[in-house]
Amino acid sequence: MMPDHNAIRSAARKAASAVARRPVKDSQRLVTSGLIDSLSVLKLISLLETTLNISIPPETLQPEDFDDIDLIVETIERVAKPAP
Amino acid sequence: MPFNSVLYLIFLVAAVTVYWLLPHGLRRVFVLAASLAFYASWGVIFVWLPLLVAGIVYLFGTRIQFDSKGARRWMWLGIGCVLSLLIVFKYRAFVLSNLNVVFAPFGTHSSSWVTAIAFPMGISFYTLEAIAYLVDVRQGRVKIPSFLDLCLFFLFWPNILSGPILRARELVPQLRFRKPFEPRFVFEGLDRVVWGLVQKNVVANMLGIWVDKGFAPAAGIPFTSDAWFLAIAFGLQIYFDFAGYTNMAIGAARLLGVTLPENFRQPYHAATPPDFWARWHMTLSRWIRDYLFFPVNARWHGAPVPLYLSLLGVMALVGLWHGAGWNYILWGSLHGTYLIAYRVYESWKTERPSSGDSWLAAGTWRLVTLVAVTAAWVPFRASTLSKAGIILSSMFYRLTSGRAYSAAFYVFTLVVLLFCALEPLLLRKLSEIEERAGTDGLSPFSIMGRPLAYACGLLLFLLFDEHNTQFIYSQF
Repeated sequence: MMPDHNAIRSAARKAASAVARRPVKDSQRLVTSGLIDSLSVLKLISLLETTLNISIPPETLQPEDFDDIDLIVETIERVAKPAP
Repeated sequence: MPFNSVLYLIFLVAAVTVYWLLPHGLRRVFVLAASLAFYASWGVIFVWLPLLVAGIVYLFGTRIQFDSKGARRWMWLGIGCVLSLLIVFKYRAFVLSNLNVVFAPFGTHSSSWVTAIAFPMGISFYTLEAIAYLVDVRQGRVKIPSFLDLCLFFLFWPNILSGPILRARELVPQLRFRKPFEPRFVFEGLDRVVWGLVQKNVVANMLGIWVDKGFAPAAGIPFTSDAWFLAIAFGLQIYFDFAGYTNMAIGAARLLGVTLPENFRQPYHAATPPDFWARWHMTLSRWIRDYLFFPVNARWHGAPVPLYLSLLGVMALVGLWHGAGWNYILWGSLHGTYLIAYRVYESWKTERPSSGDSWLAAGTWRLVTLVAVTAAWVPFRASTLSKAGIILSSMFYRLTSGRAYSAAFYVFTLVVLLFCALEPLLLRKLSEIEERAGTDGLSPFSIMGRPLAYACGLLLFLLFDEHNTQFIYSQF
């Protein structure tokens, strides 16, 4: 079963802060500001998959889909599936 | 019609004036006609090529959107078509000369006609834009624009020659040209155009005179200090050359009310090798990240070995994209190696959180990055690998004292270097003056100061016009 919106948002905040190694505000740009690079986005995806027990298919994604907390939540709700 | 020519400046003033005098409805057709005329000035014979690319991506983009089951196949077919054109027009001589070496023992050789086809300007740049467009359509990021939109996107004269490399979703909406005229478009546009002219004609071309002599095949073995200054001078020349072109491209678009993305952010202030690529040719770095590096590594979740191999492979391809030659591949591979070295250091540091971020490590990485980037410019500029080897050997291994180049070369290079070091500070001061003066473009600073600065810039451009040469990146 997919986690609910609030759980995804909370996990996104924690994962973003972990890869950026500093607290991240909801409106803060992560990728376009250079705060995290594409490799950190891959780490972010792995963290979210583990925490939320979901699978995020990366083929249709680009790093800017994870540019802020709102976008991360929207991307997960759009493409993620429950982990097999 | 190079950007740094009087003819282009006349074209720019005429095109921008007519554009703002025309009713909105006619502006798109006018910009397309002006772009076709501009591209034709480089060779009428190749005007069909960007139009063909627009036709290919329009056709395959439509198939991708309306045939969801076969979308992946259509995307790869479309990418294959545009890449084939790039290979035929840019890499055929390189491929054939290497095949000739391989098959020489069997007594075969290629015909000369295949190497005699001229090089269409900007093909490397609009090929990347075409690939990005097809992937974006496949990922549902862009709605299919009209064929006219796509022709305008690929032919838009400010960026067709050497970028910035754009995504359809950021430029096509602006190509509706619905913005009403604002005085700031003129000031912002002219600021960039005039500064670009000065960067190219005064700084890059002057450095180029010495660099050309030093890298000439007949030039002897340089002394160590000469070799270092040659490498530094070329690093500065290519920066001022490409940043100058980019400023002129961004400025020309701004004069039409269009905003193009930045391509440079003081690259020689980079703190690490990845930071250099976040500051140098930023729109190429963004393309590599989104359409090459991320999709490849996402499959492996960033595992170390595939990551390192992909960094080396991707950067070698970046080198090959710049030019069909082993020297470019070596340049890209060197940067791949730097990126791997930094990733290895980062992983090592992550495993030892107690090591912290010392100022010594940060300073060392800053210095190592600057030296490594400078050394990598040598194979990029050298006409042969053996020439690159001679200069690199003088820089690092066969150390000799002495100086064969004039004091003027050393002084000029040091002055430009000092300017680069102070660039962030100067930009900050300039932006403070701008803020105080207001943003409407009608402040006393804009009315009095800017025309004076433009006149000085144009005077310098004309004074140094005798050294007029092509932009380095227009050859790629």
